[in-house]
Amino acid sequence: MKNPQKILAFILLASLCLGLSACGKKPPEQNSAPPEEKESEAQKPAGDPDKKAILVVSFGTSYNETRAVTIEAIEGAVTKAFPDYEVRRAFTSQIIIDKLEERDGLEIDNVKEAMERLIADGVGTLVVQPTHVMNGFEYDEMKEAIAPYEDSFKNISYGLPLLISDEDYAEVVSILADETAEYNTDDTAIVFMGHGTEHEANSTYAKLQQKFDDAGYTNYFIGTVEAEPTLEDVVAAVEKTGAKKVVLLPLMIVAGDHANNDMAGDEEGSWKTEFKAAGYEVEPVLKGLGQYEGIQKMFVEHVQAAVDALKA
Amino acid sequence: MCLAALFSVFAGCTAKNDETETEGKAAISFVDDDGYQINLGAPAKKIISMYSAHTENLYALGAGEQVIGGHTTCIFPAEAAPKATYDYQGDPEYVIAAEPDLVLIRPRISRAAPEFVESLRNAGITVVSLYPNTLDAFPDYINKLAALAGKEEKAEELLKVFDAGLNEISDLTSKAEDKQTVFFESTEVNIRTVAEGSMPDMAIKFAGGKNIAQGALPMTEGSSIAEFGAERVLENGEGIDVYVSQRGAMNAGGNLQSISERPGFDTVSAVKNGRVYVINEKLISSPTFRYVKGVNELARFMYPEIMDDVSAYISDEPATKRDFANLITRCLHIPVYVPSSSKYYLENRDTHTYGMFEDIHWYDHDFDYIETAVYSGYVSWRKGEDGKEYFDPDSGVTREGLAKTVFIAGDFSAKEANTAISDLGKCGNKRIVQILVDNGVFELDENGSFLPDKQVTHNEIIQALRFVK
Repeated sequence: MKNPQKILAFILLASLCLGLSACGKKPPEQNSAPPEEKESEAQKPAGDPDKKAILVVSFGTSYNETRAVTIEAIEGAVTKAFPDYEVRRAFTSQIIIDKLEERDGLEIDNVKEAMERLIADGVGTLVVQPTHVMNGFEYDEMKEAIAPYEDSFKNISYGLPLLISDEDYAEVVSILADETAEYNTDDTAIVFMGHGTEHEANSTYAKLQQKFDDAGYTNYFIGTVEAEPTLEDVVAAVEKTGAKKVVLLPLMIVAGDHANNDMAGDEEGSWKTEFKAAGYEVEPVLKGLGQYEGIQKMFVEHVQAAVDALKA
Repeated sequence: MCLAALFSVFAGCTAKNDETETEGKAAISFVDDDGYQINLGAPAKKIISMYSAHTENLYALGAGEQVIGGHTTCIFPAEAAPKATYDYQGDPEYVIAAEPDLVLIRPRISRAAPEFVESLRNAGITVVSLYPNTLDAFPDYINKLAALAGKEEKAEELLKVFDAGLNEISDLTSKAEDKQTVFFESTEVNIRTVAEGSMPDMAIKFAGGKNIAQGALPMTEGSSIAEFGAERVLENGEGIDVYVSQRGAMNAGGNLQSISERPGFDTVSAVKNGRVYVINEKLISSPTFRYVKGVNELARFMYPEIMDDVSAYISDEPATKRDFANLITRCLHIPVYVPSSSKYYLENRDTHTYGMFEDIHWYDHDFDYIETAVYSGYVSWRKGEDGKEYFDPDSGVTREGLAKTVFIAGDFSAKEANTAISDLGKCGNKRIVQILVDNGVFELDENGSFLPDKQVTHNEIIQALRFVK
């Protein structure tokens, strides 16, 4: 995925140099401006500071209905909370962008395309809000992709991912405990499946587990698909509780491929199948974090903090 | 269906693109689907296939060894996947350097990458473009492909089997009293369907169904996709018995969850009754011999009692794992599994890799049902000391093995009963055995023993699978 992104980045940068925006519109004057004028434009922010936008950056999902109730719901909450800002969308997964375009004819910007369009449209004040769970590779790559464009805005600020501060952890524990209260009985283990990463931010999962434990939710467990804690770790931990039933939920913003297949799939190796093979009654709940109003509210709060951090 | 071969096969020598010189001389001579006169002196020995259906059909014809490479999407059969891959969006020099004596394309490729194709021709490589636009053109297409690979006899045999397979399904489903009506979703955006006469539309007819979108016109000439829309689905909702969604690289109907979540779709009979099925596009929209399997799948969705009838299996004889996989897939009416991602064989997995059993090949009669039962996690497999994967189709099934399958596939809760099981200590998974005994799925013998290692019979499997809802 990295190479195509780099190639795309090169093409987009090249097209910027040629004065072409991603949507095919010409940014004002760039192509025809005399060299001296071009130079002076490059030295000052191109946009109007009163033209304000919030760019909500998500990984993306090809599950249309899920996207509507998660990513679009977060975008909707942000739109409602910040009426002075235009809210725009970008996805970081080029594979998903390409798939949606080819399959559904949906045009969704990647981060670079979104930045180019914001500049072309003369936006001068920008808040970037990722819907990532943690500040892992996706978050780093998003910031790297935006960095070359920062000077084109008079005012730019970043909202934080979901789980950063101690308050974030406490709030997420509280929201998830409330949302899963109906399953929380003596003989039930409530297991969240996170993505997992080789990035140091993978420690987020262990920290969240600790926060659940500290709050007395000792039958709540966090595991990951691609890193630690592994499914085997979680099965072993659940075994010690004497639970008879396991409720599975995604610890991901959207209930997409991982939730449908790796977690809830009727297939060898899925979390559902593995817990069943270990003798548990299993109930998968296909609800992404983005569906919870409390989580949507947290992202609005993170946007608010970023708005507050803008230069006055 | 027209089975007559329309291409000409001549005995002769060298082929040139000059009709006057080659008349009566080329061994293989026909006009391809891009209008090029093709003359080949002998069957090709080194073929690069840029279209997955061509690759699949060459393997079916027994010409797999002649295929030296293919497009990245050529992942069936599994043995085609590790061959060199080429991309028509890439540099033609890679193809030229491989020195093929034949490159197979289809008109879509020559339209999308004319320079690529031209480069190959300029390098002196024979490029043949083939694609049957309708099912009627399938035999002609196969015969041309077979001629290019020197497999004409095999083609004749396979086409007979193909026709017989379609007729058999039609005969079976014609016995159904309640003819089923189908809506076939080809894209979830704008809820498009398939055009009259397209391969999926024909498949519905072969499978004994009625297409609710009968007469739908293609969106563009030659397209298999047709407009329909959510509104018309809902207008006809009560009459839709079965809802089929086609998914794969080229098509994206919804999945069970997304279709069920759509506003108003809970009024559609098929959604209400849990009769929404997903079918892989490779089985239903691609011009390959697997199309019969796609038709069989549609028939299974519509008439499960007829198509998944297990009366032939009723017996008190011990069952093999082959029987077990068949019974599971039929009794539980599981749609057959087919991987669709072109990256499937590039991914690392701890689970079984489709098509990689040393003892079950893709042309095995039970291949699909065995792969499906294993993919579902219902039947075990093993990795040998040689690192290869084995299914052991002739080995038996134990009571505990059956118990594990029934528990994974079913929806059982622990009961208060806690029946005493004298040999529970010998069971690998005590919790599963206890729950299933308490739920009445398994009976104990006169000594109160479960007998975990005892082999089960066909009838015992059928009986136990009845408990799976």
